[in-house]
Amino acid sequence: MSAPFDAIVIGAGHNGLTAAAYLARAGLSVVVVEQRDVIGGATVTEEFHPGFRVDTFAHRMGPFSPRVFEDLRLRTYGLEMVWPDPARVAMADGRALSLFRDPSQTAEAIRPFSSGDAARWPAFCRTVADAARLVDAVRQSQPPRLPDPGLRDLLRLAAIGLGLRRRGKRAMAETLRLLPMSLADLLDDWFESDVLKGAVAGAGLPGLMQGPRGAGTAYALLHHLAAGEAPGGVTLVRGGTGRAAEALAGAARAAGVEIRTSAPVERIGVRSDAAVEVVLAGGEVIPARRILSSADPKRTFLTLVGPEALDPAFVRQVRHIRMRGACAKVHLALGELPRFPGIGGGDAELRGAVMVAPGLDYLERAFDDAKYGGVSERPFLEAVIPTLTDPSLAPPGRHVMSILVQYAPYHLKAGAWEAARREALGDAVVAVLAEYAPNLPAAVLHRQVLTPLDLEQRLGLTEGNIFQGEMALDQLFFMRPVPGWARYGTPVRGLYLCGAGAHPGGGVTALPGYHAARAVLRDMSAS
Amino acid sequence: MKRAGFDAIVIGGGHNGLVNAAYLGRAGLRVLVLERRHLVGGAAVTEEVFPGFKYSVCSYVVSLLRPEIIRDLDLPACGLEILPLESTFTPLPNGDYLVRWADHDLTRRELYRHSPRDADAYDEFGRLMHQLAFAVKPVLGMIPPDVTSFAPSDLAGLLRLGRYVRGLGADRFHALVKLMTMSAADYLEEWFETESLKATMSASGIIGTFLGPRSPGTAYVLLHHYLGEIDGVFRAWGFARGGTGAVSNAIATAAERRGVTLRTGAAVARVITRGGRARGVVLESGEQIGARVVVSALDPKRTFLELVDPAELPGELVADIRRFRIRGSSGKVNLALSELPDFTCLPGFGPHLRGAISISPSVEYLERAYDDAKYGAFSRRPYLDIVIPSLIDPGMAPPGKHVMSIFVQYAPYQLNGGWTDARREAFGDTVIDTLSQFAPNLKSAILHRQVLTPADMEREMGLTEGNIFHGELSLHQLFSLRPATRWAQYRTPIAGYYQCGSGTHPGGGISGAPGRLGALRILKDLRQ
Repeated sequence: MSAPFDAIVIGAGHNGLTAAAYLARAGLSVVVVEQRDVIGGATVTEEFHPGFRVDTFAHRMGPFSPRVFEDLRLRTYGLEMVWPDPARVAMADGRALSLFRDPSQTAEAIRPFSSGDAARWPAFCRTVADAARLVDAVRQSQPPRLPDPGLRDLLRLAAIGLGLRRRGKRAMAETLRLLPMSLADLLDDWFESDVLKGAVAGAGLPGLMQGPRGAGTAYALLHHLAAGEAPGGVTLVRGGTGRAAEALAGAARAAGVEIRTSAPVERIGVRSDAAVEVVLAGGEVIPARRILSSADPKRTFLTLVGPEALDPAFVRQVRHIRMRGACAKVHLALGELPRFPGIGGGDAELRGAVMVAPGLDYLERAFDDAKYGGVSERPFLEAVIPTLTDPSLAPPGRHVMSILVQYAPYHLKAGAWEAARREALGDAVVAVLAEYAPNLPAAVLHRQVLTPLDLEQRLGLTEGNIFQGEMALDQLFFMRPVPGWARYGTPVRGLYLCGAGAHPGGGVTALPGYHAARAVLRDMSAS
Repeated sequence: MKRAGFDAIVIGGGHNGLVNAAYLGRAGLRVLVLERRHLVGGAAVTEEVFPGFKYSVCSYVVSLLRPEIIRDLDLPACGLEILPLESTFTPLPNGDYLVRWADHDLTRRELYRHSPRDADAYDEFGRLMHQLAFAVKPVLGMIPPDVTSFAPSDLAGLLRLGRYVRGLGADRFHALVKLMTMSAADYLEEWFETESLKATMSASGIIGTFLGPRSPGTAYVLLHHYLGEIDGVFRAWGFARGGTGAVSNAIATAAERRGVTLRTGAAVARVITRGGRARGVVLESGEQIGARVVVSALDPKRTFLELVDPAELPGELVADIRRFRIRGSSGKVNLALSELPDFTCLPGFGPHLRGAISISPSVEYLERAYDDAKYGAFSRRPYLDIVIPSLIDPGMAPPGKHVMSIFVQYAPYQLNGGWTDARREAFGDTVIDTLSQFAPNLKSAILHRQVLTPADMEREMGLTEGNIFHGELSLHQLFSLRPATRWAQYRTPIAGYYQCGSGTHPGGGISGAPGRLGALRILKDLRQ
């Protein structure tokens, strides 16, 4: 048997790679084992039709941690982020509403829909930015040990509270009120235009098994915003989000990390309550002093560790984590660009996200279908045309469209996700888009549909949940992934979580991986 | 002959206004309560709607009345008598039923029939909820701190809250966080598998809200079911002998014994203010009554936007109150019956009729009822919570006859096209049709029927938008945020003008807690 690694990271998703890179930079010997033959996890760009490449799941960034970007010098490893402007174009009744990065420009775009809303938009952006600043501060730090925080935690919490208070009483009051709200309540407070409300709500809902009237969905909107970004902001990667994973892998390898693909983990070996080795599907055993799993908590504890090695009360908590998959992906290889008569301004307008979310009731009805185990008859769509940012993703003159579709529940009430169901979903998506871009159906050369079941099977996301656990108020911060274990360590000594199932959750942010590596290094220096 | 003038005027003789007045009177203040209607009680009234038939017109069960209020005001001596509500009976469309009895062993046997696993879980669940109910008690009895303030009293409040949270211990704290943030359906899903059990329990989480059982934030109301029980004063849920109005009457008697003057038929037009201070009130008749303290027991919209000129208030507070959610979601149908309903699934007039009858066969049923309301319609198949008080308290109906109270959800205040007489009757028909599916003899047993829509409750009881809680109990409208941040301490920006209705912490239900906490605030301020 070979000498044990200092650390094994399970899963070469962007969080696993981030954790590996930080550990190796601190001098640890690290190996990453990835079940697929490609790295990236849900941050991967693959060919889905000869000559056409697309982001298999995440088609925009999280927002990605600037600190990780700088620390790991990801620019030198090929990561180039792009901020399209307008960030989003929301389709509605023959017209379109563009959300720009500059609030005053967006206000002008809103004016034809409602002059009152246009006037209120900048103040709304400021209110949301205040709240996003708080969320960002929380995101940048490890969750405190509640309800009995140590002195350090207490000081950090006090600093966050004072930081908020320093922005004024009103800002603090508004933030506290906003955090637990529903998107519908929040937007109804501010605006009258249903088109605008749909566009903003649509920016917060992706990945959630909630409609806009679900309490806690306003938080989800904040989660998508880096401090200072206007609501609806979108960050893309030139060449696809897979480039982010490749850059992270480059940085990791440069720091000495070994990355093994086609190495699916069968189980995590536990002896005397400590994780000691990883057993691969072929039977190969890799010993290690510590193991970081970027697989979701259910997979990590119920499959890889196994309930028998864990306290039953903890197992029960893990089983209770809600991770109902809510979305599907549809990928189109296009012979020509879709033309949206509602959108003026040419192709540049389409470089961000094109949304079909024409109102709060539309979104809520799309959710109603899923609530009872059905697929939305008229789904909510967020489409990106990555070839407008990087034409090399398709043959010359051709295009790719990546569409996030909601709601497509993992658990169907009737029937299963078989081929006919998958194609019906694809048909519905193209039909809805065709209402806004009549040339689209004829332009489709090839179509790929990935259901929540496909996402589970292909990417290893339990129930196809892209956040590795719903981003609901009771599953965030010091409650994530389960109460009492929010600081990356687990009841198994030497086993850590470093994926989106841990604080601060999903999206291509690199933060769970970063925090997990820090937790490992902290524990090492403490012992 | 009374001394001229009053120290304090309480606007609104609902149960919170009366509690507030009684506490102020107890401290030696000369207090006047002004009630618009011909009787006190607000939404907690008993009225003889049809000759010989008495109804708890709006609120119909009691469970939350704070034990300290019962003790402080010695309410049993003032005529308060609570009769136990024995059971919750849920008839099911498949011909089966579910009953939970006051008797633990009977409930266990019944649950076992549906699911042995649930029968075991039910005990464990009950124990946890008891613990949590104990845990939240101090918060319900606390004046919420202003979290934006650095004033010593507010910082002390925050500190007290921090110490309290720490004292909970990890398990109870985490369980509370889950209760505060989860949906009732998700929370119960962690415990039970029997659909009708989950549905009937989650229904208590949606009463009075404009949310469905799957909406996050509905779980914590489950706690309310366990709050009444813990003090051993009376059972979890009960009727007052003489209807809910008897609760108000007992508090009114307690207030009068402490020197409080009650005036009915006295509608307040507005509060008189001078130099940023409240000086008294003007009645709609034009009569002026002076006092140095004025307390509004009305909902926040009326307290801030109608009783005073909003121009006298900070713009931010006015904006907060304007956006305060107060959407009514429920209606009430009161029936006079010639005979008891006979349920197909459990025929005869057995003990199951003496408790609550819940039409809540599945979580999906409730959720679909909510879906209708989301888009501005009343539920085609509503959730019904029914009691037949005349079975327990024969004085409520003529001999051999009965009164039936039906709480109905969802009935949105903002109905598409508005509430008209025709829509009110259609709504009543829907309720009767829904119940008749389970008890076919109902229709022929109806002697009279009274249908109250949210619009009716607004007009008759003065509940804005017909919201029975004076404002929705959603997370962003609780504790330090109720009714608005910085004004959750029962004060208002106008000196001497206070609030004490359900629109303040800890919210709706016949708890009396806002009335009491408001009085404590006033007395503390007067001492300073």
